Formats: sequence, C-alpha cells, structure tokens
Amino acid sequence: MAASIQRLTSAGRCLLQRHLVKPGYLNGLPVGPQRLLATPAAQQVALNVPETKVTTLENGLRVASEDSGLTTCTVGLWIDAGSRYENERNNGTAHFLEHMAFKGTRKRSQLDLELEIENMGAHLNAYTSREQTVYYAKAFSKDLPRAVEILADIIQNSTLGEAEIERERGVILREMQEVETNLQEVVFDYLHATAYQSTALGRTILGPTENIKTINRGDLVEYITTHYKGPRIVLAAAGGVCHQELISLAKYHFGKLPSRDQGGAPALPPCHFTGSEIRVRDDKMPLAHIAIAVEAVGWSHPDTLPLMVANTLIGNWDRSFSGGVNLSSKLAQMACQGNLCHSFQSFNTCYTDTGLWGLYMVCEPGTIGDMMHFTQMEWMSLCTSVTESEVARAKNLLKTNMLLHLDGSTPICEDIGRQMLCYSRRIPLHELEARIDAIDANTIKEVCTKYIYNRAPAIAAVGPIEQLPDYNQIRSGMFWMRS
Amino acid sequence: FGIAAYRKYSSGGGYPNVSLSTPLPGIPKPLFASVDGQEKYETKITTLENGLKVASQNKFGEFCTVGLINSGSRHEAKYPSGISHFLEKLAFSSTAQYGSKDEILLTLEKHGGICDCQTSDTTMYAVSAEVKGLDTVVSLLSDAVLQPRLLEEVEMTRMAVRFELEDLNMRPDPEPLLTEMIHAAAYRGNTVGLPRFCPAENVEKIDKKVLHSYLHNYYCPERMVLAGVGVEHEQLVECARKYLLDVRPVWGTSSAADVDLSVAQYTGGIVKMEKDMSDVSLGPTPIPELTHIMIGLESCSFLEEDFIPFAVLNMMMGGGGSFSAGGPGKGMFTRLYLNVLNRHHWMYNATSYHHSYEDSGLLCIHASADPRQVREMVEIITREFIQMGGSAGEMELERAKTQLKSMLMMNLESRPVIFEDVGRQVLSTGKRKLPHELCDLISVTASDIKRVTTKMLRSKPAVAALGDLTELPTYEHIQAALSSKDGRLPRVYRLFR
Repeated sequence: MAASIQRLTSAGRCLLQRHLVKPGYLNGLPVGPQRLLATPAAQQVALNVPETKVTTLENGLRVASEDSGLTTCTVGLWIDAGSRYENERNNGTAHFLEHMAFKGTRKRSQLDLELEIENMGAHLNAYTSREQTVYYAKAFSKDLPRAVEILADIIQNSTLGEAEIERERGVILREMQEVETNLQEVVFDYLHATAYQSTALGRTILGPTENIKTINRGDLVEYITTHYKGPRIVLAAAGGVCHQELISLAKYHFGKLPSRDQGGAPALPPCHFTGSEIRVRDDKMPLAHIAIAVEAVGWSHPDTLPLMVANTLIGNWDRSFSGGVNLSSKLAQMACQGNLCHSFQSFNTCYTDTGLWGLYMVCEPGTIGDMMHFTQMEWMSLCTSVTESEVARAKNLLKTNMLLHLDGSTPICEDIGRQMLCYSRRIPLHELEARIDAIDANTIKEVCTKYIYNRAPAIAAVGPIEQLPDYNQIRSGMFWMRS
Repeated sequence: FGIAAYRKYSSGGGYPNVSLSTPLPGIPKPLFASVDGQEKYETKITTLENGLKVASQNKFGEFCTVGLINSGSRHEAKYPSGISHFLEKLAFSSTAQYGSKDEILLTLEKHGGICDCQTSDTTMYAVSAEVKGLDTVVSLLSDAVLQPRLLEEVEMTRMAVRFELEDLNMRPDPEPLLTEMIHAAAYRGNTVGLPRFCPAENVEKIDKKVLHSYLHNYYCPERMVLAGVGVEHEQLVECARKYLLDVRPVWGTSSAADVDLSVAQYTGGIVKMEKDMSDVSLGPTPIPELTHIMIGLESCSFLEEDFIPFAVLNMMMGGGGSFSAGGPGKGMFTRLYLNVLNRHHWMYNATSYHHSYEDSGLLCIHASADPRQVREMVEIITREFIQMGGSAGEMELERAKTQLKSMLMMNLESRPVIFEDVGRQVLSTGKRKLPHELCDLISVTASDIKRVTTKMLRSKPAVAALGDLTELPTYEHIQAALSSKDGRLPRVYRLFR
C-alpha cells in the first residue's frame, strides 16, 4: 500500500506533447477489465477487451468510449485543431487558448473551477500539439457527469478576460524558457523548422515571443469560432464509463455546438518537406544533441506500420542500460560496444499527410562522426538486407509495446481520442495485429527504400558539433555504391 | 504538396494497401468482452512447503504481470553497499538455461513479453507477457533469479553502474540524489539508510563471490513472494510448484544463516554536499543556480495505524514546483502552494514526500531557492513543520482525504502498480489489504493529524543539503527551530559581516 499511496508528482505533465513513438514501456500493460465474458463463434474472434463504442451526434460531434468497470475514469475532448492551422501572424493562438481554458468561464471563476476540481480529487489537464488540442479530466467514475459538464463549460463559455490574457502572457513566456532547457524539445523544434521550412508545420507550438506578446482576445475568439465545431471534436472516455450515459451527457452539454463549418472546413495547408539542416554550434555544452529524419507518411497511410516496424528495428538505447539492453537493435549493440553515444531514440512522428522518420542522438563531441556513420549504415541495411528473423522480432516487439502502452484509463482514452481524429474509428486490436503480421522483410526493404534510400534528410544539431560531417557527406551516406 | 501526399501505396509482398482508416477486408468480426460489475481486487495467497508465498489477483485481459519480490538494499549492512544496484542491472542476464540476455528476451518476445527489475527497499523481478505463456514466464523467472551465471556480465554491469552514477550527478533534477542523502541522514549506516546507488569506490569490490554470498543469505524461498496479476491462482501455484519448489539455487541451498534482521533505526542527522550548481544546464539556456534542502522527521511504518494520518498529512502539505505543468488537480490548495510558493515567489520548489517502510517512515519536505536565500527558505520550511501541529481546517482535511483516495484508485488502474501492491504487502504482512478497505481507513480527523504531528516533532530532524551551502543554518539551529513553538531559527549575531 505504500507503493500505491506514494505521491506521484510527475503525473500530469502534459502542456506540450508531441507524438513521438516511444518504445520501451518497461512497466505497462493494457488494463484488462474483470469478468469479461466472451464466447468465440465461427468467423469471429474473441477479444478479451471491451468494445470501443462510437456514436455520432446530430451536430457531428463523436462520442467514443470503452467501459472497463474501474472506479475511476478519464474523459476528454480531442479537437482537430493545433498550431498547424495558424499562420505567421497568429502562430501560438491554439496554445494560448489552451492556457486560457482554466482561467474562468461565465459560470465559474478561476478559483471556483480550481476548488471544484481539487475537492473532487480530480485532475484537469490540456495540451496542444501541431495538429490536435486536447482537454481532459481524470476523476472518480461517479463524478463523470460533473467532469463532462466542466469540460463543456471551459471550451464553450470561457470568459477570455483581458486581465487574464495579459497575465497569461508572462506565464507562457516562462513556459517557453522551461521548454528551452529541454534540449530534446529544442532539437525537435529545429528539426521541424528546417524540414518544414516556410510552412505551418515548421512553426513552433508556443509561437514566437512577439506573437505571445500581441495575441489578443479577438484572435482567441476567432480561433474558437473557426475550429471548435461539432464534426471536429471527439468526446472520448475510458475506465468506468457507461456509453449511454456519456451520450446523454454529450447531447445535453455539447448539443448547441455549431455543426458545420461556415464555408466548409478550412483547408489543411499543405506542408512541403525540404531536405536541409540547422546547426547551432555551442562548444561550451558537454554533449551534442542531433536529430536526423527523412519524410515519412501520415497517420492513416498503410506504410505507417512498416515504418514503425523499421523504427523498432533501429530501436532505442541509453548507456545506463546494462549489457546493451535492447539487443534486438544492432545499432544499440554497436553504440554500446563502441561507446558511440549516451543515448539514442528512433522516432516516427506522424501528421495528417506527412511525417518524420528518423533518429535522435546524444553524443560526446568526439563520437558524432562514427555514430552518424553507423546510423546511416543501419538505415541502408534496412533498405537492402534486413532479414526475416530480425523483422519477425521487431514485429513482436512493436505489438508488445503498443499493447503494453494501453495500461490505465488515461492512455486508453488518449488512444481512443487520437485514433478517432486520425482514422475516424478505433482500429480493433486483432486488425492491428493482422496488419503487422502481414509485414515481412520484403515489405520493410521496399517501404524503407521508398522513404529512406537516396532521400535528402533534414538535420538539426545543437552543441559541440564540429565533428558532424557536412550536409553533402551525410547526404551521400543515404545510398550505397554497388558494383 | 509533400511528396508523401501523392505517393502511391506500396505494392510488394502480401502487405495490404488499405488505409488505416478503412477496416481490413476479410478480417474476422471481433466479439468483445463486456464488463460485469466493478473491480473487486480479490487476492488469493498460498504458502508452499518451502515457505515461498504465492499471491495473485485475477484480472481479465490477455496479459499478465508476474514477478518475484524480495528484500533490497536495506540488508546490505555486512556487505559492500551497492549489491542491490548491481543485482538490478544484472537481472535477466545469462542463466543456467539461457546463454545470454538476448536469449531471454527472444523467449519473452514470443509471448509478447518484456522483463524489468527494480530495486528500492525491495527488489522486484517482473515479467509482463501474454497469459498463455505463464508456464514459460515462471520457469524463466525462477532461472533468472536463482540460476544466474554472473560471468562477463559483471564487468559490463560495472560500466553501466559507473555511467549511471555519472548521469545522476549531471542530471539537473536533484531529487534522486537528495532522497538518497536524506535517507543516509535519517538512518545513519543502517537498513533503509544504506545507499541504493552503488558508491563509486565499491564498483570494483563487488564480484561474483560477494554476490553469491549475499544471494545465499537473502534469496531463500521464505523471504520471497511470487506475485501475479491477471492469472488464475491455481495455475500460478502449479507453476510455482514446478519451478520454485525443489530447486537448488546456483549458490547452493540457502540456509539463511547470516541474515541481517536489524530493524530500521531512525537516527536523524545531516548530510551535506557542497556542489557548484551555478551551471547545471546542459544547454545554452541557463537554469538559475539553486541550493536544495530536504528536511525530514520520522513518521511511521506502513504497518502502523498512523500510516493513514501521515499519508493524509502528506497530501495536505502537497506542493510542487513554482512553475509546474498540469492544471487543477495537482494540489493547488495544498499548504506548500498556499503558504509557501504563492507567498514567496523567489522559491523555486517546495514539495512534501512520505517514504514509508515496514519498520519506519520519513516525512520530508524538499525546497529549493537561490543560495543567498537558504536561511530564509529553511525557516519557512521549519515553520510549516510546526504549523502541521496546529488544527487542520475541515475543508483542507476533506480535500486531502478525497485526493488520497483518488490517487490510490488511479494508481491501481495500472497492472504493474497492482503487482507491486500485492507483492509488497504479502512480503511484509503475509496478506493484502484491498483498495476499498484502505479507502475505508481514510477517515482521519483533525485530532489524528495533530496527534501524529506532535509525535513526529519529537524526533530529531534529518537534513540533506545540496549546492552552495554558505547560508545554511547549522544543524543545531534547525533542530532548535523544530522544537520551538513558532519554528523560527535562533537569531544569529554576526558582528563582522
């Protein structure tokens, strides 16, 4: 009991979240509900998980939930709106709005809202990514109606008071400083800035300082009226939640949301990928932080899964893992034996119609060249000579990581919300498995050749990076000369 | 358009070119499970002939978490410190059956499984895998725990341990280091005060012989629990009989001859680490220079009745970073926010922690601020300790109780947490208090809080301090402040400064 009553201070860090694929959830497993009764029948497959029930309201708002009978639940709004819908002038609005959500509504002052949530033993949180804005609450299942009412209140009746807006500018600027101390965040912002230069995905989520200082009430109101429309919102819930109850709550509290975008949905601005680089050399820093990526595909593209398997093949590693854990990754073995880096992480970041597939590494100045060389060598062997047994292993690992991540009401609710926005459905586990099972070494070679082989990468590097080879040299490591 | 937008789908192999937004044709119709009633957390416990306890809670779903739990670094008194740290890193390396860690991982991957070992006051070897693979999982656990080869891995572990120690000192977040220091101060040289991280000078001292001698004494069946979540109890017991009943560990039969049975001795005291923290930032953005202090007093073990009032008190103190992410629900109305962070904007952090073990406990507050304001910061914290003994408001008490219950239930959503809960409770008490029974116990009154605080304030303080310590008051002054009525530090007259 001591373990379960430990205070978890790290819980609920979510202001700014990117959908990096993070392998290696060493602790998680999907939460399985108790007493699940399922009998297999012909042409059917029994899944020992509850169904994700989906209902669309008249105004287009979708309600999706999975009931696992817990005494607690997570419920939230997943909105198809993020910094990608902004332009140069109003970049930062979506994030600013997220901050204003907890600053009071016509019904509740900020203090009332905070007291109500704290007294319920609940948590209220929000985050903005480049394509999604999320508001969610975690509460006792018995408090579900109140949680939904509060979520409805903060996105529909926010006062957006001038005084609060002024005060929040300082908070956001402070948050910006905080983000800047996290070098991984910094490098990924640079990577987007170069890969998607002069497009909406190249801009940061927080926006430039100048915008944070000038965004006004009008910008916020306009963002809401343009984007917070029924068809672009998903009300998702998991844990102890009754779908029928959730539907009636949704009808009551969100029924008045406008159903159609006036003049149609705003077209998603296309975002070109440009092979290019950003180098920020600072020899005073102890370690170099480098990300290199090629353009991959969007969420729903069928090649996403083979790319995720490829991602798993490269894997991730940290030098404090003993004996080079993650021995399924050859790069990890090389990094470990050659002491090539402090850590590396393979990533596949997806957006609607594009994505970044690559590697983030933290190295000492003297090993950058070698680390880059072996990374590219591994990438090339994915395209040319990956074996069936390696692929089989990566497939197992990917499935395990995906399934193990679904542990507890919040990760499940996040999965439901995100999938509803990305795929307009929740992919049943057996289908996901069937799709992964269909991948073999040929698929990997073909898909990797298509997206990695002889493609111009985007590179972002910060720190003592004198040893990082010049762009053309790295570019020429993206193919092999064969006679 | 980006290239990806108009690229055609892949054509090769048998891989389907169907968008993830569309159901795959020909996929069988799923038959989903449905929930019947609420989670009861029913737990079954069996003791085998050799003394090993098997405990499990069923939970439907295709995955289970199973593991072996036994005592950790607290028993290293007669050994070079750091053995548990080594064992954690060595876990799931080559064994009698498996030639390498890779072989173990491969076997697990076939059952969709992963393994993990964590050490604190206990050592937990855990595997999460598909329920279908239970037999393999238990056989593997038995092998990994009782038959490790400890060959060339020991040398690799030395390196990993050294790297981890290096990273620990480089990390801007000092919390793990401070926690280690305050335990060393509170339980000087005994049990839970022994280092959890291997001290640098011991890295070379620990070898196969030392490890075997330790394992021989402590890894005996009567000191271990096999815990499982998401498994049928009878099945788990059967596997335990098969793989854990008549096995001779590689270090010979354990007789538990030289077991350290010492009970945690709370001593109080101070551990200081002068360190230049003026540039802890790893990047170009500077992190302000901070001095960290942690002040703690003895609370109680989690077996005592007062554990719950202390847990409520800890919730009531709460706190966090002056700039922390997260919306309402992070404890905005806890005392360390209201009285400390909201009033003294120069303070960077004020957080309450409660560490509780089977024979003692420690309630402590971590605070950080600019080195020049350390004295003021210490006084603010000592005054908060004294005020814990005043009467708690009805609202704040109710709130803390509700938050404690919700935290308990929310943590127990996750299978590995349930596993840890089952394992630890059964290891120390032989039974498990169920979550709803615990919730019923959270009926603490203001007088309970007052009573436990009064008792706690009688103990000698434990202090950990890290950074520039020029302005740190002496230990005696901190002690004097904590035994005063108002928590103020004694006045110092410094004529020559």
